[in-house]
Amino acid sequence: MWGYVRLELIRSTRDGGYVIFGIVMPVVMYLVFTNLGLAPGDRHDAAIYTMVSMAAYGALGGAFNNGSGIAEDRAAGWLRRLRLTPLTPAQVVAGKVVTGIVGVVPSIAAVLLAGVLVNHVTLAPQRWLAIVVLLWAGTVPFSLLGLGNGYRLSGQSAAMANIATMLTLAVLGGLWVPIANFPSWLRAVAEWIPSNSYAGLSWRVAFGDVPTVRQVATLSAWLLAFGVYAVHGYRRAGRRA
Amino acid sequence: MSCPEPYRSIYSDRGRPPTVVTVTTNTPHAVSLTSATKHFGPVRAVDGLTLAIPRGQTVALLGPNGAGKSTTIALLLGLLAPDSGRAVLFGLAPEQAVRRGLVGAMPQEGGLVPRVTVRELLAFVAGTYAAPLPLDQVLALARIGDLRDRRVDRLSGGQAQRVRFATAVCGDPVLIVLDEPTAALDVEARREFWDGMRGLASRGKTILFSTHYLEEADEHADRVVVLGHGRVVADGTSAEIKRAAALTTVSVTADGESAWLAALPGVRHMEIRGGRVHLRSADSDATVMALARAGAVRELEVVPADLEDAFVALTAKENA
Repeated sequence: MWGYVRLELIRSTRDGGYVIFGIVMPVVMYLVFTNLGLAPGDRHDAAIYTMVSMAAYGALGGAFNNGSGIAEDRAAGWLRRLRLTPLTPAQVVAGKVVTGIVGVVPSIAAVLLAGVLVNHVTLAPQRWLAIVVLLWAGTVPFSLLGLGNGYRLSGQSAAMANIATMLTLAVLGGLWVPIANFPSWLRAVAEWIPSNSYAGLSWRVAFGDVPTVRQVATLSAWLLAFGVYAVHGYRRAGRRA
Repeated sequence: MSCPEPYRSIYSDRGRPPTVVTVTTNTPHAVSLTSATKHFGPVRAVDGLTLAIPRGQTVALLGPNGAGKSTTIALLLGLLAPDSGRAVLFGLAPEQAVRRGLVGAMPQEGGLVPRVTVRELLAFVAGTYAAPLPLDQVLALARIGDLRDRRVDRLSGGQAQRVRFATAVCGDPVLIVLDEPTAALDVEARREFWDGMRGLASRGKTILFSTHYLEEADEHADRVVVLGHGRVVADGTSAEIKRAAALTTVSVTADGESAWLAALPGVRHMEIRGGRVHLRSADSDATVMALARAGAVRELEVVPADLEDAFVALTAKENA
């Protein structure tokens, strides 16, 4: 299985979509946004807030890109080919999930590093640790949604669906523009959006609070829903592959 | 569908057993399909197919498009489950045989994943097997040493096909299954492909390949299994199939009443075209002798069958 993960990670590094949406764009947007002063608070607070937003945005890009890869693999006959190797289907699925989990690390790391090196963000070590863990673990629901789309849809439409979903979640979740700037009705909607809960965990921690129960509950509910969606998609794909 | 036991009609006059190959060992067959049936909607893609392949044989699965070759292969690899009947590899369920690394396969299309080099792909596939071949040996076998650092999504058709072949053999499996390995290749690429294959057969592997190129079956297989409408319509060496099914054509010029010629020994079918009588004969020697005795040898012409004729005769029989 580790050979499979290794192969998939090699493929990711050569995937322009992953590198651009998952790593380059979030860093560039981070640097642009912080210099335009779109975030609330003073310059240092804005640098922290936007750092979390853009790390979350990049992680979303990585997670969804992994899901699009599944549809591409199926179209290329690769999933069928894998069934003719000694790998078990469970190993293949686990390998893809691990690839997704490892694949979001560079996205998060790149933005956090830009925060430290360019915008001179300083945080207590335990807060750094908490942010990294929350940003990382919180991608699981989005990985599952991306995989579900990848299993259910054909190559092109899966990629389109994943990019559209990712951008919608980024905008509505307040990753680009903080939801404090939204009209009140839109803000009410945004609070139920999983990407808002996801980034919200780290926003709270970054400014010295603990995540709210509502954030944890919302994200957990979406985790469950997307998990069911992914498993259902996989079962359907298994019958066709 | 008037002949449910196709071999019988082919071999009955010779008293041959239906299957040419006999096995004397106790070890399970490499491949064993028993009365396997697979429907796709109303279409019976595989229709009660029984086939046993002992270890070490190179077998060609020959048939026109739609004969059920790919479905048969998907059944025996465990990619599809039969509606009824059984597929067994080395005494195991196909999935288990695949898990144990006994099988290397090349599906008809696809299977090359984008954005990896030939070497990375082969190292990965080989790594899933317990005792793979060394990479250099695989590259030499498939004649792709010069492609090792090329991206697999940037290969020509012939190159890609050889890489796909390499992925089927790199784990050093005992059974190698190739579904139309040379489809869509030009003559040159096909020749290169079979050059690589020859090295493998000499290593004692069991090889099953499907093709609709008759000369490939003729040249590269120990045994040819002809499929038509999801059933085995003939099974034997290519020489036996030619002899048994593709009748030699004996032609003479005849005038007057010639219907009696159809009753000559060996004659199975008669056709009269422009004063020439064409007799399709299962025993051309006997037919010619009888013609001579009857004094009917006029502008005699004897044309032996090739596998193409056999193939047409066999599959046409299925259609009748």
